Amino acid sequence: MPSSSSTVKAVLGKASMLKAACAGIALLFVLAHPASAQLSFKPTAESVQEDQLLKGLKEGDRITGRISIPDAMAASLIQPAGRDWRDFQRSKLPIIGGVAILGMVAVLALFLIIRGRIRLDHGFSGRKILRFAAFERFTHWLTASCFVILALSGLNISFGRSLLLPLLGADGFAAMSAYAKLAHNYLAFPFMFGLVVMFLIWIKDNIPERLDLVWLKQGGGLFTRGSHVQARRFNAGQKGVFWIVIVGGSLMSLSGWFLLFPYIPANVTALQFWTVIHAVVAMLFIAAMLAHIYIGSVGMEGAFEAMGTGEVDINLAKEHHSLWVQEELAKGRLPSASTARSVPAE
Amino acid sequence: MKVFLAALLFAAIAAVGVSTLLNTIQQPSSVAFTTGGARVGDPGHNLVGPS
Repeated sequence: MPSSSSTVKAVLGKASMLKAACAGIALLFVLAHPASAQLSFKPTAESVQEDQLLKGLKEGDRITGRISIPDAMAASLIQPAGRDWRDFQRSKLPIIGGVAILGMVAVLALFLIIRGRIRLDHGFSGRKILRFAAFERFTHWLTASCFVILALSGLNISFGRSLLLPLLGADGFAAMSAYAKLAHNYLAFPFMFGLVVMFLIWIKDNIPERLDLVWLKQGGGLFTRGSHVQARRFNAGQKGVFWIVIVGGSLMSLSGWFLLFPYIPANVTALQFWTVIHAVVAMLFIAAMLAHIYIGSVGMEGAFEAMGTGEVDINLAKEHHSLWVQEELAKGRLPSASTARSVPAE
Repeated sequence: MKVFLAALLFAAIAAVGVSTLLNTIQQPSSVAFTTGGARVGDPGHNLVGPS
């Protein structure tokens, strides 16, 4: 019977032979393949590169995964269209907004310099006629005040980083932007309410008619002194403002609704589309409202009182809404003696 | 002026009212868009909401 030490030696001997055999096989593999062939397999170089992947994806393509959380939009992993959307928000949109808004300011300033303030040809008579009832003015100011906050807080998204961040500092700008976003989100609702009421109470006076073409052909008499075009309660220019507000406000409301509740479209591409609509319409809307604010305040003497006190001088009403004045007088709504100033304050 | 102030007051009340209503009937995104297994305990005051 062999001793235990001889058994151990025999096992160790077999193990060393096995090692030698493995080493020999490995040596054969090395000798059989040249070094260059061994280096040709590079996992990182052969894998799909991000640039190639993004270039390979066409318009509308996206890479999606399968998820179990309730947010369906989280399943979109890569969507190249998002880069175009980001570039639009950062570069093109500020240009569109800057041109529209600053361009309108420049046009209005030029108009004021050349034409001057539009004054009453026959001065103030001292007799007033009711132009807008209290509820109409309430609706106007409700919508207008919300619009101003919405516009400023919206412009902060496009221009705040460039214009306000250097002035307020990072903390101040962040706090201001957070409150502006809250105001934007929630004042949108009274704005939409005001828009609906405005549509209902003024639609009957804003239906386009043949008379409006005459007004438009003569430029509303805005460019010539002493010439006035007949109009009913709203002239063609005011009807234009009304429809800009209704159509623009509706587009802003619809697009804004999807941004307020993004799980309704539940689609990243749709959300990007609506943000573009929201932003572009907003810039044009703001530019148009600058013209409305101008003509209702600085641009035309006595015009602000229509929405201020509700009453305007009978001479202003006759010059710009002669047919409406006739209708009012026929209804027995006679002008009242003014308790306010009867001559311009300036 | 009274009409203007009344409009401002109405806008403020409507905004606060809608805010309260939405906060009542809606769940925070940290709750609505996660499953029980993935929900974090307290997301804190970050982008996903205060609670």
